[in-house]
Amino acid sequence: MLYLLPHTILNAAERSPEKVAFCCLKEARTYAEMTKQMNQLSNLLIELGVKKGDRIGIFLNRSIETAAAIYGTMNAGAAYVPIDPNLSIERVQFLIRDCGIKYLVTNQAQSRKLQKVVAAGTNLTHIIGLDKDWEIPTISWEEVSQFPSNSPKVNILADDLAYIMYTSGSTGIPKGIMHTHYSGLSYAKLSSGLYGLNSGDIFGNHAPLFFDISTFGYFSVPLKAATTIIATDAHVKMPASLSKLIEEEQISIWYSVPLALIQMLQRGVLEERNWEQLRWILYGGEPFPAKHLRALMKRLPQTRISNVYGPAEVNQCTYYHLPDLPQEEESIPLGQVWNNTEMLILDEKDRAVKQGEMGELLIRSATRMKAYWNNSTLTERSFYRRKTEQGVDDIFYRTGDLVNIDEQGRLQFFGRKDRQIKSRGYRVELDDVENALLEHQMVNEAAVFSKKDEDEVNIICAVVTLKENQDLEEKQLLDYCKNKLNWYAVPQQLSIVVDLARTPTGKIDRKQLAIEN
Amino acid sequence: MKDKIIQYIQAEILQDGDDPITSDEDLLTSGLLDSMAAMRLIGFLEETFEVKIPPEDMVIEHFMTVDAMESYLAQKQTS
Repeated sequence: MLYLLPHTILNAAERSPEKVAFCCLKEARTYAEMTKQMNQLSNLLIELGVKKGDRIGIFLNRSIETAAAIYGTMNAGAAYVPIDPNLSIERVQFLIRDCGIKYLVTNQAQSRKLQKVVAAGTNLTHIIGLDKDWEIPTISWEEVSQFPSNSPKVNILADDLAYIMYTSGSTGIPKGIMHTHYSGLSYAKLSSGLYGLNSGDIFGNHAPLFFDISTFGYFSVPLKAATTIIATDAHVKMPASLSKLIEEEQISIWYSVPLALIQMLQRGVLEERNWEQLRWILYGGEPFPAKHLRALMKRLPQTRISNVYGPAEVNQCTYYHLPDLPQEEESIPLGQVWNNTEMLILDEKDRAVKQGEMGELLIRSATRMKAYWNNSTLTERSFYRRKTEQGVDDIFYRTGDLVNIDEQGRLQFFGRKDRQIKSRGYRVELDDVENALLEHQMVNEAAVFSKKDEDEVNIICAVVTLKENQDLEEKQLLDYCKNKLNWYAVPQQLSIVVDLARTPTGKIDRKQLAIEN
Repeated sequence: MKDKIIQYIQAEILQDGDDPITSDEDLLTSGLLDSMAAMRLIGFLEETFEVKIPPEDMVIEHFMTVDAMESYLAQKQTS
């Protein structure tokens, strides 16, 4: 039986119950233990009144509890909604409200932050994973383990909602990407097949739960009854510890944003590490600067390296296995569309571009999201419907990414149709940052743009003018941004100036600003 | 030394005086310090205690808690 995401755990537990499914620091869970803990959490949620289709917030750092939290939720027929614990209180409140979350799963390490969220006001009715009761009833993980471990009776189908991942929206309002068991499992099947994942593999998971890259470690790995090593938040901050983890855990497949690999190259003392078990490195989220990729490939001649591409709305849609050392300055192709996926490249009037010309990439795939949460206008705008004779439309997702097909038949990436950029792998809408700055009562004008630092990494820059007779320091404005924006969208460079560079027609000249700053 | 470090984290990184951290509190795994904050903290330690912290020393064991930082720095200063 394999049509729901929790079936991956159940099947693996039947085949190899004693095999380690997830491991984080010194804590490991076998597939048998995962099955038990998942069922216990599901039974608890159902007893608390959780119904099919309800959304459960997962407020967790990189930790062992993440695995049971998401599977216990999906196995109860509910959808998990990962919440980044580093978000500002306002943003956390927004997600809980927007998604109608009443139940939250967490751990003791998050209690400090969570206390502030609760104090600020939410509609939460229960929190799972805390030792002490607050004004809201809590259930500890210890108490969860007292619940029955039989499979709950819930009628869930492949087409039902499994999880919602939030990403930034251009209007400043985050949008919730809704995935079903079918789209999630389709991703697990395609990705595990493409990279030859097998039960002997040990996967290194770097991505936090709220980042779609995490679905490889949490879905694809259980599908093949392999093992996921969850790198902690501490490892992510200390590249020398992260590189040691790869050696000590004998990680065979790694998948992360380029930045994690660049940091290990620069500060991970790789010359002292033995990574001979590492057979494949996948990277995604943003382009890998060729000079760093070159250094990585030189350091690891025996490891295959692949570029993964796909907006979270379709999980993944193309792959490119790097054949040899890229030349300096060369951009790495997105490669080929993978199985069970069709692409179109269209111009601004939705007409197919000529061979080799640039246009927007559209994707039709089994891995496509169902919709954006509670936003049918946005959903419809992001879809392209192709009429068929049968009268049922083929639905494509508009990626907003500009591509062409080069002479070797590979997809090449040219940038965005809009002003979205990637910062440390995260999607940032520059207009969203600009709007946030403009909402400050002392700010008159704001221009936000991105530029590459000396390491060719995207950084977000803001230049601001103030209203007359206002006195505001740059640090104060940055603190304001930290409350208003996702942490990865806060400008890394901000200056308050008297006037901005302008085009001859008087508009703010962001291109010129990027050169000047 | 401990007090100086705690004071810095409290004032400059968490910007929260009402909710004190303890010297044995895990600052890294919990996500209390983000990557930027961790780098800033290392810069502060190098400057304040006049030590050079090489990449191979930037590991979890040395920076997990304020206690760990203190014993690492003490060993660093005497060597």
